[in-house]
Order: sequence, then structure tokens, then C-alpha cells
Amino acid sequence: MADKYINTRRFLAPFKTTTGKVQWLGIIILALLIIMAIFAPWIAGVGPTEEVGIPFEKPSTAHILGCNDAGQDLFSQLLHGARVSIFIGLSVATFSTFIAVLLAIIAGFYGGWIDKLIMRFVDIFLTLPFLPLVIVLGVVLGASLTTQIIVIASVMWAGPIRELRSQILSIRSLDFVEASQAMGASGRYIGLRHILPELAPLIVPQFIGIAHGAILVETSLSFLGLGDPSQISWGSILYHANVRTAFLTGSWVYWILPAGLAVAITVTALAFIGFGYDASLAPRIVRKNKSTIIPSKENPDKNAALSIRGLQVKYHSELEEIQAVRDIDLDLKHSELLGLVGESGSGKTTIAMAVLRLLPAAGEVISGTVLFQNQNLLALDDEQIRQMRGRKLALIPQSAMNALNPVMNIGKQLGEALNRGEKLSKNQQKQEVVHWLEKVGLEAFHAQSFPHELSGGMRQRAVIAIAICNKPNLVIADEPTTGLDVLIQEEIMALLLKLRKDLKLSILFVTHNLQLIARHADRLSVMYNGEIVDCGTAEQLRKSPTHNHTQDLFKNLPELTGTKRWSINYIKQEYPVIELLNVSKYFYNYNVFGFKTEKSIQALSSVNLKLFKGEKLGLVGGSGAGKSTIARIIMGMLQTDTGAVYFQDEKIENTKQRKVLAKSVHMVFQDPYQSMRNSMSIRDVVAEPLRIQGIKDIKEIEKRVRVALEEVHLPNDGDFMSRLPVALSGGQRQRVAFARAIITKPDVIIADEPASMLDQSVRMEIMELMEGLRIRHNTAFLYITHDIVLARHFCDRILVLKDGVIVEQGIVDKVIQTPQHNYTKALIAAT
Amino acid sequence: MMYYVRLVLQYAVTLFVALSINFFLPRLAPGEPINSLLPQDVIDEMSEEQIQRVLADYGLDLPILEQFWNYFTGIFSGDFGISVALGKPVWDVLIDRLPWTLLLMGCTLIISTLIGTFLGVISAWKRGNFTDVSITGIVLFIGSLPSFWIAMMFIVLFSTTLGWLPTFGAYPIGVPVGSWDWYLGVGKRMIMPLSAMVLVRGASVLLISRSAMLMSLDTDYIMFARAKGVSENRVFFSHAFRNAMLPLYTNVMMSIGGLIGGALVIETVFSYPGLGSVIGIGVGARDYNLLQGMFVFATLSVIVANFLTDLFYPLIDPRTRKTE
Repeated sequence: MADKYINTRRFLAPFKTTTGKVQWLGIIILALLIIMAIFAPWIAGVGPTEEVGIPFEKPSTAHILGCNDAGQDLFSQLLHGARVSIFIGLSVATFSTFIAVLLAIIAGFYGGWIDKLIMRFVDIFLTLPFLPLVIVLGVVLGASLTTQIIVIASVMWAGPIRELRSQILSIRSLDFVEASQAMGASGRYIGLRHILPELAPLIVPQFIGIAHGAILVETSLSFLGLGDPSQISWGSILYHANVRTAFLTGSWVYWILPAGLAVAITVTALAFIGFGYDASLAPRIVRKNKSTIIPSKENPDKNAALSIRGLQVKYHSELEEIQAVRDIDLDLKHSELLGLVGESGSGKTTIAMAVLRLLPAAGEVISGTVLFQNQNLLALDDEQIRQMRGRKLALIPQSAMNALNPVMNIGKQLGEALNRGEKLSKNQQKQEVVHWLEKVGLEAFHAQSFPHELSGGMRQRAVIAIAICNKPNLVIADEPTTGLDVLIQEEIMALLLKLRKDLKLSILFVTHNLQLIARHADRLSVMYNGEIVDCGTAEQLRKSPTHNHTQDLFKNLPELTGTKRWSINYIKQEYPVIELLNVSKYFYNYNVFGFKTEKSIQALSSVNLKLFKGEKLGLVGGSGAGKSTIARIIMGMLQTDTGAVYFQDEKIENTKQRKVLAKSVHMVFQDPYQSMRNSMSIRDVVAEPLRIQGIKDIKEIEKRVRVALEEVHLPNDGDFMSRLPVALSGGQRQRVAFARAIITKPDVIIADEPASMLDQSVRMEIMELMEGLRIRHNTAFLYITHDIVLARHFCDRILVLKDGVIVEQGIVDKVIQTPQHNYTKALIAAT
Repeated sequence: MMYYVRLVLQYAVTLFVALSINFFLPRLAPGEPINSLLPQDVIDEMSEEQIQRVLADYGLDLPILEQFWNYFTGIFSGDFGISVALGKPVWDVLIDRLPWTLLLMGCTLIISTLIGTFLGVISAWKRGNFTDVSITGIVLFIGSLPSFWIAMMFIVLFSTTLGWLPTFGAYPIGVPVGSWDWYLGVGKRMIMPLSAMVLVRGASVLLISRSAMLMSLDTDYIMFARAKGVSENRVFFSHAFRNAMLPLYTNVMMSIGGLIGGALVIETVFSYPGLGSVIGIGVGARDYNLLQGMFVFATLSVIVANFLTDLFYPLIDPRTRKTE
């Protein structure tokens, strides 16, 4: 599952949360301090430098904090000090933030040598010890309020740049920026409409951070006697106190203490406001005190390998409580492979983690019984369950990429698991490690490898070796193949099946990939919304589902054989809309000095491609085959190294022509959560291509947005159009993306895996939508996918791409029925 | 190999920039070149001829690039010019005081890192409960206090009120150097400046280590280690802490630049005879040479520290080990 783009990019956390309350406390304190600073002359009554009392006068009703050595009122000084300190803090923050944002935008947006130069300079600057530098600067430039601001600002600007720049880079690489580029937007448009609004909430904490630091630096500077002698600041109060060694007399109570506390309160208030900025992105986890889990009233099946009864799990957060699993019963027989199938958020992983007792801190098992080897796992204490894990009860986790410790080699990570089974001598352990590595298809020397040195498939093998090395009775495999290339998925699956046989494993296989598991599992359990709605063999479920959702799932599971779901549209035309002629593309590595190195990666080699009006052309291939590179070249977002792109027989060369192209070719991205900015209304999202093309008439825009939304079968009332994309489901969002694509009535739509991020049950709706658009508008589709089955049903013609080379092409059914190339054959075999 | 070449190059450039800033700053300041040497009231009493002679003495009448070259070569042969206020070569003044600053800084570095890391790890372990909330709350507040103010409050408490500790200097006077009493005196005089610095720096180390630990504990490999059945101690130390060390190490080492500044200010409160003590003299007499010398010394120590940090980083992170 891809990380969904976090949508709550707001600076202040909701007031309901602890973070929000702390932030508001900071804001209130700071506001009070600022009010006191502004009204200082009226509150104090006397000026800070007027000699109104006798030297060292003790506090009295006339002088609340007494007087200093010159007989000046210390309370008045404290209030006036607030003016200087807060003024300097805020001005420095304003200046420095401005410079930092400017430089970060230049560096992040232009990239290349400008970026390198700026970042090198920032690196160097950050190395300098900044307080000594400030002291030298302060002495050289002389003491005044303006110099102080300049001096402090001149050392504070560099700190935030690095973070801001990396934020800009990450915003820039997001799909919605790419989408905007693909629509033909200029750099200025993207900068103002997308990057700045996204960056704004990130600038605030930087501002706060600088103000925080600036006030402390100012205090230090003034304390060293480098402040403006005509101004009283908190630092200069302390400077005089230090020079007069006030700490040796009783006068420290009203001379030193208040000024220091004033600094502390101000700076703490700022820290509070900035506090938990990271946390404000997500509601805090609420930990519940462990309450006892109520066992289920029903008796579990003692003959099963694993038997679950009445399992209920809740997640707690500050804002809400979610019941993720409701009253689940599940039995896994000995040596059985049971597929637990469900869409994202259905609760399948929660069940797996609850069995292992590895739920995240927010999760809580409310009730239920999990019987495994005659023990209720939910009733064991922490040590007892630990003894079970890894020995009898193993996990093959989701995303093997991250499941291995990056700083420990594979041998050690495997050895650590082995040692748990029985204490082994060093030599024995070495042998065992090699044995298990070879068992999963790795080699002995991989014991010395670190995870980053292995490919995705090899890492998954290593993780499997760790899971099975103590010959467990039960293996819980949580999406073990997700994120891997289609063919590698198949290899991993084959390995699991072999191990299952060799070691007589009972496997609970958790996955969203029905297509994969239906072929291999003995039985399937279908989850929907926290409940198991159906259970049986794949054949039973397909033929006689008891729940609508199961029926939906299987209906949406196309097969390679059988009738095509969407008819072929035979095209006989002379001229293609788009043609790629002999296109090659290289990606280069750069060395320390910024020169191209010899080593380059050939992303595409001599690709020829024709797309006719109204045609559905499929581009099929694994990850890294170069599918997206082709899409980007057509969109003009990448330049070709050799060869040319033709649009309606015109060679596409300069950017001006690319703008023409932006009207006629549109792209729909894979991930609907990232391809539109979350703080834009749906109206604005859909209208973006029109705005980029300079259409300003609000009524026309409104009209065309309504038409486009109707085309994709979404509501088009004002209320819906004003909503934010956050409120929509993945399928709805993808429809919005299509509305945006068709608003300029393009001849060609490039659809880059438009259905692969969506839940199974809505995939077909999106394909249906594309077919409808083709029929109504005669739009040509370049359908990019790794899924040869979907391509077979949808497309008229397909191209099979491997390592940047088109290895096979032709009418879809001909390619599927009589594949020529081994790669095509392997893809077909993997379905 | 490339990694080390790159490192050396990078820090050579950093040094060059620092030295250049140092050279050009006073020359960009308002006033005539002579102003950078003598106070205005002295200059007023001098004849034009005398001024020229002084300038020639200091090489300030040469073309700017030649001055830069002389300055640059001078630095590498230990010639930092003459301190106008003290009438001694700046190098001699600074090298006498450097050991005291290094002593104070070194101790602070070690103690604050140990304590800060320890408490940060505890805080992460107990995240969200009373121990964690109170530790982070207190630390947030301490981090907001000016370090010299903490030092002043220490004096009020331990010297003025309780009379336990001496407030002045770094070593006892009138005691034979190297005797037990002398070491005892040095120790006693170090307690307060050291504690003030450890408090402030320890607070920041604590926050860094806490968040590094939390980030590390929240990863998939920690969950997988637990699923292996590895003991909770092992999960915590060999997995979570081992990985938290990476950001902790860089962050902690990078904060040395700030540490020097903190040490200088604290030293002035206790009249500690380290590099910080030249600030008072330098600021009072507008002695540029002296202050610039201090800046170069401070920069050098940061560069050395950062260089060592980068040099040893591949030891703790296998991903940066390059086999070439």
C-alpha cells in the first residue's frame, strides 16, 4: 500500500488534541507578552532610563522590582526590554525566513549547478561557529538596534534552507506538480499555484524556530556588552547586573531573576507554538491502560492449527475511535493455505497482528479467543507470547524492503532468529545460516551482505528465511509479494508453496491480490469492513457467493481466457495521432565534479510506437521497463536522446509546440491521492487545464467543469464542486482526474496504471469509464499497465516492453494466444 | 577513496571561506583602515605621518590582494597579528587560553552526550507516560533559558547562599601547580560552568536522541524483530538504539559549533581564563585582531570536529561504506 499523501498540512493542530492545546497556550502567552511590550510606557509609568529611585532600592509599591545601581526602575526596564527582545526576535525571523525561502525556492526549483552552489555555500556557512561570528560582526559593525538585527539575521538564514529546500524538492516531485506540468503549466504558474501554497505551512515553524534562536542570541550579545547602549533589553539588564556582580548581593532576586525568566517564558511560548509541529500532521495515539481481554463465549476448534473466535479490535486516537475488526471467527486447518482477502482498510492486517500480539500502540484487542496449540494467545503474558513468536508462530511481513535492519548484515539477522530456537555453537550457527539461505534460493555469501545490497526479491527471500528457520507450525504472511515485480511475485509465491510442502507449514496468507491468491489457496476468507463476509474455496466463492462484496470482487476479476469485456475497435487509418520514431533515452550518473560519467542507463532503445485516433493501445511491462519514460516523452516532460515524437505528423520540438500538445494530449496518473492537491476544491482541480490555457471567464469555466463532471458520472452541483478531494474515495478521485483530463476535449489520453491503486471492486468502473469516453469522443487511449489480463480485456492492440525495448506487439488476442517472446510468455504464465 | 577526497576538499573550502570572512569583515566596516587598529581618540592625536607609519608596520598600506596573501600565509605560520589591547601576539594569547576552553568543552561534550542520550532513550522508552512528559517538559523549559543566566543563578545558589564553590577563575592562586590541592581547586572551579553547559547542551541532546529513538522504534524492522521473538532488551538496544545512533551521532557532532559559542559566554560569567575571556578584553578595547583570532580558533575546532565526524561515519553506517 502506498503512503497516502498526508492531507492535513496545517500548522495548528486541532484544539481538541493535546498538541493543539499546547500550541494555543503558547500563542496566548506570546500575545500577552506582546501586549505588555506595546503598552510598556503606560503600564510602567516611568521611563526605563529615568533615575527615579535611589541606587539598589529594594522592591516597594512604587518600584515593584526595585531599582538598579543607577536608581532606574527595574520593572519599567523589564517591560521595555520586552519591546527590544521581541522586536528583534520577530524582525530577525522575518528577514531570515524571507532570505531562506527565497534561496530555497531558487535552489529547489532551478536545480542543477545553481542548487549545488547554494547548498555548498549553506553547508560551509553552517559549519561556522555562529556565536563567535556574531561577536566579531557585532564589534566590527558597532552597536545599534539595526546592526543587531542585521548581524543576527545574517547568521540565522542558513539553518532553515536545507529543510525548506528538501520540502520543495519533495513537493516538486509529487504527482500534482507533474500533472500540472503535463497540462502545459509554466514554472511560474506551478510555483505560485502549487508550490507556494504547499510550502506556506512549513515556513511557519521555521519562522518560529528563528525567532526562538534570535531572542536567545540577542540576550547573549547584549549580555556581552554588544547591545545598543541606548536601548534596554533583557540581555542588557543582565549585563549590568553581571558587571555590578548583583549575584553576590541580595539584589539578584529582583534584578537577575525576572529578566532571565522573561526570556525563558517568551522562548518557551515560541517553543510551545512550534511544538509538535510534526505531531500536528496526525492525531496523537492514545494509550489505554491494559484492560483484560474478554474471552469469547464460543469454543474454538481444538483440531485446527489456529482458531479465532469473537475477535474485536479497536484503534484509539485523540480524535476518534475506530473499530477495525468486529467479531471475527476464523479457523485454519493443519497444513492449510488460507487466503485472507480484503480491500484496503478492511481489517485483514489487524487480525494478523492481533494474533501475533504485535498491534501498534493505538490498537487494542477488546475481546476474543485465539487458540493455537491448545493455548489462548490473547491470555498469555508478554514473555510467553515472545517464546512462541519466531519458534512456533512466524511472520512474513508486509514490505520486506523495510523489514530488515539496515545496519545489520543478513547473517546476523538470521542468526539472531536461529539462536532463539536452541543455543547453537558459532560453527553450527554458521552452517545453519548457510543452510537456510540456500533453502530460500540465496547463496552463502549473502550472509555478509547488508539489506541495501540486495534486490527487492532477494530481500523478500531473506525475510522468508528468517521467518521459517525455526520450522514454525504457523506462518502468517502479510502481503508478502506486494510491491514486487509481477514475475518476481510469481517466484516468491512458488518458493512459499515449496517451503509449505517441505516444512508442512500452515499459512495464513493476508493479501488484497485476489487474482494471485485465488490460484493457490486451499480456502479463502473474504473480509469487508472489519468482518469476514464469506469463506470457502475459490471455486465455491466464484460460483455461489453469499455476500454481495464477494460477488463484486469476483465479477471484477477478469481472466485471461473467456470473452473480452470490451470490444475491439478495429482501426484502419493512414496517419497516427502520435508517433514515436526510433526513440532512445539514456539516464546518466554524475560524478563529484558534476560531469557525466561513462556509466549510463539506457531507459529506452529505438522505440517505435503509433497510436491512432480512437484506438486503445496497451503498453505492458514490469517495473523499470520504461513505460513511464515513454509517457513522459510524449508529454514533453523528458527530451529524447535520439529519435523524434510526431503529433499529427508534425514533429514536436520546441516548448511552444508542446503547449499546443498539452491541449490535445492529457495524462491520468496512477495514484489519485497524489495527482491532485488536497487543499484545492474539486472545481479548481478540474478547471486547472483551462486556467493554464489562459481561460479566465468564470461562467465558462463553471459550465465546462459541470459538463466534465457529468461525463465521468460524478455529481456536478455547487456543493460537490466546492468539496476538497480529501472527502472523496479513491475511485471518485480517479473520476475527478478523468474529468480534468477530458475538460479540454483531448484527442489522446495517456492512462498510467489508472486502476492499479484502486480497490478491486472499483477497478472495472474506471475501465468502463474509459471505454465510455472513447465511444463518445473517439478519444485514443495509451493504456500503461503491468497487468496483462486487464490489457487483454481493454485494449485493441498491445506492446510488450522489457528493459526499454519493445519485444512484441500486435492485435491483443493474437499476442495473448500466440506469444512469441519468452518475456510475454512468462507474463502470461504468471496470471 | 572519493569519499575522503571529497571530505578534505569540502573542509578546505570551508576553512578558506571562514578565513576570507575574517579578513574582509573589518575592511568592509565603516571607517579608515587605521580604525581597525586604534581607538578614535588615539587616532585624533596622531599626525598623518604617524598614521602612515603605523599602517606600514601592519602592512595595511599594501594592495588588498597582497594583504590577503600575507594574512593567509601568516595564519598558517601561526601569525595572527598583534593584540592591540594586550601588546602580545594574538597566537600566544590564544594558545595560552585554549587548553582551558578545550577542557571545559571536552568535559561538557562527553558528560552532556552521555546524560542526554541516556535520558532521551528513557524518555522514548516511556513515551507518552508521566516520566516522558515531565522530562520533555522540563527540557523544553531549560532549552529556553540563556545559559549564562543559569550560570548566574548557580553562583547565587552555590556560592552566595551556600558558600560551597568559588566563583572566579579556573585554578586556585597561591597553591603549587600540579599538587593535589591545585587539582582539587581546578575541579571545584569547573563544577559550575560545566554544569551550566551540561544542562543546556544535555537538554538539546536529549530531545535529539528521544526523537531519533522514537523514529527508529516506529519502523518495520523493529516490528519484525519482535515477530522473530527477540527479547525486548535486544529489540531496544541492538536494533532501535543501534539505528537511532546514526542521526544522533551526526546531530550531536554538528552541535559542537554551537557549543563553542556557549562556552565563550559562560566563561565570561566565571572569568574563566579560556578563549571566552578574550571577548571581554576584545569587545572593551575594540581589539579586532584578538576577536578574529578567537573566531579562527573556534572555526578550526569545529572543522576538525566535523571532519572527524564524517571520517568515522561509515564505521557506524554500512550504507555509506563504499568498496572501491
